[in-house]
Amino acid sequence: MTDQNIIEISGVEKRFGTFTAVKDLNLTLKEGEFFSLLGPSGCGKTTALRMIAGFQDHDAGSIRIAGQDMAHIPANKRPANMVFQSYAIFPHLNVGDNVAFGLRKLGLSKADMKTRVAEALEMVELGGLQARKADELSGGQRQRVALARALVMRPKVLLLDEPLSALDKNLREAMQLEMRRLQQKLGITFVMVTHDQYEAMTMSDRIGVMFAGKLEQVDRPEVLYARPCNRRVASFIGGMNFLDARVTGDNGATVDVNLQGFGPLTIDVNPNAPARSPDLLAGIRPEQLEIGAQRPEGYDACLQGTVSDIAFYGESVHYYVRAAGVEQPISAAVPNYFHTVDHKRGDQVWLGVQNASVIDLGARDA
Amino acid sequence: MAGLLRTEAGKGLALSAPASLYVGLLVAAPLGILVAYSFWTQTYVEIDKTLTWANYLEAATDPLVRHLMLRSILIAGAVTAATVALAYPIAYFIAFRTQKKTLWLLLITIPFWSSYLLRVFSWKLILGFNGVLNSALISLGLIDEPLTFLLYNEFAVVLTLAHAWAPFAILPIYVSLQKIDRSLLEAATDLGCSKLERFVRVTLPLTVPGIIAASLIIFIPTVGDYVTPSLVGGSQGKMIANLIQVQFGPANNWPLGATLSLVAMASVGFAAILFAVLATALGRRIR
Amino acid sequence: MSEPLNKPLSPAVSKARRKPIRFPWLLAYAVGYLIFLYLPVLLLPLFSFNDGTIVAFPMKGFTLKWYAQLGEQDTLLQAMINSLTVGAVTALVATSLGLFAARAYVRYRFKGRELSEGLVMLPLVIPGIIVASSMLVLFISLGLKPSLTTVILGHVFVALPFAVSIMKSAFDDFDQSLEEAAFDLGESVIGTFRRVTLPIVAPGIVASLLVTFTVSFDEFVLAFFLSGNQPTLPVYIWSQIRFPAKLPNTLALGSLLLLASVQLLLTAEYFRRRSTKSASKSA
Repeated sequence: MTDQNIIEISGVEKRFGTFTAVKDLNLTLKEGEFFSLLGPSGCGKTTALRMIAGFQDHDAGSIRIAGQDMAHIPANKRPANMVFQSYAIFPHLNVGDNVAFGLRKLGLSKADMKTRVAEALEMVELGGLQARKADELSGGQRQRVALARALVMRPKVLLLDEPLSALDKNLREAMQLEMRRLQQKLGITFVMVTHDQYEAMTMSDRIGVMFAGKLEQVDRPEVLYARPCNRRVASFIGGMNFLDARVTGDNGATVDVNLQGFGPLTIDVNPNAPARSPDLLAGIRPEQLEIGAQRPEGYDACLQGTVSDIAFYGESVHYYVRAAGVEQPISAAVPNYFHTVDHKRGDQVWLGVQNASVIDLGARDA
Repeated sequence: MAGLLRTEAGKGLALSAPASLYVGLLVAAPLGILVAYSFWTQTYVEIDKTLTWANYLEAATDPLVRHLMLRSILIAGAVTAATVALAYPIAYFIAFRTQKKTLWLLLITIPFWSSYLLRVFSWKLILGFNGVLNSALISLGLIDEPLTFLLYNEFAVVLTLAHAWAPFAILPIYVSLQKIDRSLLEAATDLGCSKLERFVRVTLPLTVPGIIAASLIIFIPTVGDYVTPSLVGGSQGKMIANLIQVQFGPANNWPLGATLSLVAMASVGFAAILFAVLATALGRRIR
Repeated sequence: MSEPLNKPLSPAVSKARRKPIRFPWLLAYAVGYLIFLYLPVLLLPLFSFNDGTIVAFPMKGFTLKWYAQLGEQDTLLQAMINSLTVGAVTALVATSLGLFAARAYVRYRFKGRELSEGLVMLPLVIPGIIVASSMLVLFISLGLKPSLTTVILGHVFVALPFAVSIMKSAFDDFDQSLEEAAFDLGESVIGTFRRVTLPIVAPGIVASLLVTFTVSFDEFVLAFFLSGNQPTLPVYIWSQIRFPAKLPNTLALGSLLLLASVQLLLTAEYFRRRSTKSASKSA
């Protein structure tokens, strides 16, 4: 990654009739960055991507790629190429001709073209498959051809629309790592649209989370996980218990709170979350809670409750605990180290939490 | 203009305009002129352009017109009923009882693509007094005298048209049968329906749209059919189209012909709408 | 309780169990129906080889002379040329109009789309005699004498619904992101149409050309009203039907036409299948 800005989006809006698909989008991407737009279906992430690609005009604001305003530049003249969700492999052309499709417009010599096609296919580990017909490709191979066909154009930006959603789980996980490796090797900026939080977190340098046309938060995956800016972002990425907290004292970088069910704690102020007063919404990740039959030692606050449900995930066990004064059951995740499920439904248990594990999510209605 | 062509709506309009203008003009312009003619009169080759209701009066009072119009609608109704009734089991067979759906659909449609005129002509040869059917039955010793009720009557017209329109009935019904979610049928059985009840209460109501589509697509053109009544209808089987042709041809009375065309179109439209409304209501009555 | 659990696992077994050997009434009916459909179509060729002028059983000997006599008739040859001309022009015009309209319907959302779609299908449901008589009146009023031109104008009208629906299904299966991909890779609008759209919908175009040609080639009523003194083949046949002596020749000619129509349509069907197959492969 360099410090050079490659994409600068400011104040971009897109309306379809009375429906606003994208609201006031502001985003700056660095050269060589792997960026993901994450959000539920219909949140406007694909529209945003298609505006960058040039398949959709924007109604307000500006989009610049490599310093150049894209307002009147059609998709076929933009230094960005796209990997389509359906892959859009031309059914009447073989693999080689698919990859060479865009190159033919560049006036290269036959030999140059051949070399570049071969290199591109080599890059996606499809070396030598030039003559393969489009309908003889497996799902994973189609994905690779789509990738090679876009990368062979040597774009400044590669746009990927849910590139892995058509693949089965194992292949998808293998391709996630492979694409990440490829992106780092080439140093090209990747902008990917996905609804899969794990895909976004494993592959991206930064993630932008979108809801209802609005970009809510842009951050590195670990920051997004540790310091989400509000309830929507927090609930879309990983599991989260939401509890009300009354602010009892403000110490600048920390606040004293009275946490629903747990009692007094001192937690860090979340710089990403907007102002709070007098109450704030607090979040606790299930895996950050300690659970035990006895009151756990060395925790900043504890609560006693009854196990209402148990969900076994394999790598972990989730216990749902009902406690007095808390409406929703609180979930606590325990890593499955010893192949045991220690508590059963109806057991009395204790939950313990540290100050540092409680996330300030700002005002309750934000 | 260039700006308009860049929007989606502009492109869509520009691309579809030639086709819709072509059809629109060739529907509206002739219709307009037909309406104009219907208020004029003609003596030999002279067209008298004074506006008059005379043609409509004649169409309303002439018993021959009323008779032919009524017969055309009745024959078209019979053709529609016969074709749909004969076609439904075939559509059902293709949708539910065979794996070779495409082959059967192809087999059903091939005869339709041969010339309509020739198929009607062939029926005339089959049904005639000294025709194929009679001669075959006689040589097999099944009858002694040729059957006379085969040709030159309403029966011949209905049979021939039911043959001509077969694919138009089979295809829409097949499509509506094919669309039925198979789990609906399983649910009906699960809820205690016998096979027959299941057909009457689930399958049939769900295919009503297909039946209506098939019926209209057969009924409307059939009312105005010319070739079949001319070739196999005899004097008993003449229909309104024959009378219209006479006005534009031998009788050379275009204003009356125009009036008859318009009256026929209006009657067809009225009958078709009436039928669609009734059939839809009937389909909803099944619970 | 094991019975219902087994069912989804072994449909073949349960099917066989549910249906003991029973007479397949529906299949029998279907076969009977096919015989009814094909009887008149196969009869013409059968009797066209019959060495006699009366179409009745028992048949006389086998002969090819009715076919041989066809070549000697100049009016027939002229009618054939007329029909081919009308069919070819009709196919080209209707398919071009249908190609653009179908693309608009499938690809773009615009005001009046449904109205326009309904309008181009209208010719299917107007009785032929009304189309024919009203067009005759229109063309005469415009000063256009009945001729092959007026027949073509009428035939394009009736062939258009066929062209539009064939082209619509060709575009329906066409993944729009293919065009976007081409555009994204630097191709121009026209280049995209030429290098991607056209090759993929080409089988659909061929199918549409063949079908609209056949529709025109077989059409009678419009041609009867609009052809004036330039008869097409069906109009020529109509004039021959009245003469019993010409019957065997008419049978021979009819058989050739049947063969040609069916051949054309099977070819069209082949291309139509290929079009949907190739377009759906992109997904």
